[in-house]
Amino acid sequence: MSTIDTPQDAAVPVRPIDAMPGDDRPAPAQPPTLPTKPASKRRARGKLPRAYALHFALGVIGFLLFLPFLWMILTSVKHLQEVGLRSWIPGDRGFQLGNYAEVFTQIPFARYYWNSLFIATWVTFLQVFTSSLAAFSFARIQWKGRDKVFLMYLATMMLPGLVMMIPNYQIMITLGLVDTMIGLILPAAFTAFGTFLLRQFMLSIPASLDEAAEIDGASKWRVYWDVILPLARPGLVTLAIFTFMGNYNSFFWPLVMLTSEHKYTLPIGLLAFDSTAGQQTNLLMAAVTMSVVPMIVVFVVLQKQLVKGIQLGAVKG
Amino acid sequence: MTRDRRNFISGIAFLTPNILGVLTFVVFPVVFSFYMAFTNWDLTLHNQFKEDASIQFIGLDNFIELVTGDRFPRFLGNTLFFMMGIPFSVAASLIAAMLLSSDTRAGGGRNYLYLLSVIGLVAGVSLLSVLGMGSTAMTILLVGAAAGILLAGVTGGLTFYRTLFYTPHFVAGVATFILWKQLYAAKTGPVNLSLEPALSGLGGVVNTTPPAIYSTLFWVGLVLMLGLFYWGSAKLRRMLVDGDLGKGAAVVPFGLLLIPVVVGCIWGMTSHAWWLLSIGAVAILAYHAWVYSQRTDRFPAKASEGFGSGFVIALMVLVGQFVLLGLAPVFGALPAMADTTTGTGDGLTPPSWLTDVSWAKPALMIMGFWAAIGSNNMLLYLAALTNVPGELYEASNIDGASPLQRFWNVTWPQLAPTTFFILVMSTIAGLQGGFEMARVMTQGGPAGATTTLSYFIYEEGFETGRLGYASAVAWTLFLLIFSVTLFNWKFGNKYVND
Repeated sequence: MSTIDTPQDAAVPVRPIDAMPGDDRPAPAQPPTLPTKPASKRRARGKLPRAYALHFALGVIGFLLFLPFLWMILTSVKHLQEVGLRSWIPGDRGFQLGNYAEVFTQIPFARYYWNSLFIATWVTFLQVFTSSLAAFSFARIQWKGRDKVFLMYLATMMLPGLVMMIPNYQIMITLGLVDTMIGLILPAAFTAFGTFLLRQFMLSIPASLDEAAEIDGASKWRVYWDVILPLARPGLVTLAIFTFMGNYNSFFWPLVMLTSEHKYTLPIGLLAFDSTAGQQTNLLMAAVTMSVVPMIVVFVVLQKQLVKGIQLGAVKG
Repeated sequence: MTRDRRNFISGIAFLTPNILGVLTFVVFPVVFSFYMAFTNWDLTLHNQFKEDASIQFIGLDNFIELVTGDRFPRFLGNTLFFMMGIPFSVAASLIAAMLLSSDTRAGGGRNYLYLLSVIGLVAGVSLLSVLGMGSTAMTILLVGAAAGILLAGVTGGLTFYRTLFYTPHFVAGVATFILWKQLYAAKTGPVNLSLEPALSGLGGVVNTTPPAIYSTLFWVGLVLMLGLFYWGSAKLRRMLVDGDLGKGAAVVPFGLLLIPVVVGCIWGMTSHAWWLLSIGAVAILAYHAWVYSQRTDRFPAKASEGFGSGFVIALMVLVGQFVLLGLAPVFGALPAMADTTTGTGDGLTPPSWLTDVSWAKPALMIMGFWAAIGSNNMLLYLAALTNVPGELYEASNIDGASPLQRFWNVTWPQLAPTTFFILVMSTIAGLQGGFEMARVMTQGGPAGATTTLSYFIYEEGFETGRLGYASAVAWTLFLLIFSVTLFNWKFGNKYVND
């Protein structure tokens, strides 16, 4: 039996427009409910075992990855006679912090540091400066043949570095640069990659900026120096960090180029010490610790920049 | 002066410092090296003391020597062997990235986490002391380190873990290679010092159990391998039916899946089981062909369709198959190895790693894995994971998908472009890789077991002095890399747009 045309229906309040169709019953009275915890707290409670499991998994992976470093640090403070024992911890002879000083008396370790820093700094400076100039030319100036030259740059990026090493060594012999700092710096300082990276950064800067500067009568150099460089700073910093770290760690080229010990860079010096240290694993580990720890510090300090750079695809190979 | 002309002059002027360097140290050497590859340039024949000896153009002789000689194929094989570690490290990077992008905030439960680490510390120390594993000090050290990392992780959150994971990759170089050389030292290295007691315990267990168990495990391993073969080919078959994979493009993935089966039939350790492998594989393929022919709802696809995804799936399955193929004979040989009355009489002993022909490669791969978990790949995956639209997860939650289903149907397809990019880049890097660790840790030995192509080029070019031959090797390597790049161009975009 329908009740639609009964007078009682007129007393039913008008349904709100957004109510579900068919939902024409008056809202039933709320049954009395037990007081409940706020939703957010309940959710946190439900997530807790999950958070434990995640922390556990992350902690186990982190612990396993850290183990080699733990052994390295502990061995570096062991006494020579306790090296190679099952216990990782220095025994009765105590912690030998003097091992670190001993490294400096056996090999010119400070010299290796200096050489590595010197080379990496110069390569970074040349790389960032010349690459930014070239990138400016590719990204901000229209000139005939530009795209063809840029294509050549791109093509060289596909070639493995190994192809260039052998002829480059012959070039160094011809120029008389074998076993010199200049011979280490120059071939590393000019890469198509740096130019490519900075060009991509500069392309993202609006063109109206340099047009405005040129209308004001600024020369191309002024546009480069005062407008583009400051805006391309994140790109410059990224390239600088990667170039610096790459050359601080570079191995192949210094290995074939260097013959005199006082010119050794850190990796080459470490390799030489590895073959002369003999049984002195504790000193070897002290040297390894001293070359690894500065890098960890650099990474922790610069990690935001580095992570962003890598995620932008700024890493070669 | 016209504007075009002014622009040309300034454009060249800005380019000059860089392009001079690039021409001198990149372009010219490349051209020069190409020429060298066709000469017999050898520093022992052509040096300043032998002015009369001239460098001769010898055509393709270097390349012919390379293909017909036994060294290049062997070292290419070494390089490819090392590259089998790539899928493992990529998978590990993905897992690490997924853990790092999960919500680990425990809300008000953080204090419990602190308490948990302290309880874990105490419990771990007492448990290990009761079990008598190592000295008490060692136990406290290890458990303390683990608890310390957990505490730092609870406090520092995911940034701490990300830093910790990334550190081995960031510092990898001569220093860490020297460190690992010491870790692997046969008599004094911590790896073998901790393996010794564990292995002698295992040896005791093996000696007291019937050897039939281990020969059964051998067959179980091979059957599991065939199971993987079935799983992978079934996946490809479904893609064929659904039109996600073209017939032409299916040839390579199916061929990849067959490689471990063929290797298993030939390899000395498993060749006595050739009948199982060949009959099993043929039966599986015949079954798939039959099912395929029965389906009337086949969706037609272009012949080259889906090459990339089929390739990636086949590659993953291939690696799993190889692992099982390698493990099966190890299980089968356990009783013989643990027997203290035969052989060296020492029972199960740890290998001498870097100086052992068959263990040097795995040793370097384990080290590579350590450095590769938290590598750039992890950071790329982290970035990609934050880009997966949240609605997809919500939708799958509403549909009641299990975490595993959510991974296969939401996360994995969304990450496909990143995975493809990572695999291509790792392949290119892998083909050129291995020089540093070989030079520092093994000198390419023992007996050339760890000589990769890059180390081979170094050895020939800078130690033997055969510049012409070394250049030929370098250019062949370039051709290999270039083919990977072509593969990427051809199929990368298609796969990315799937």
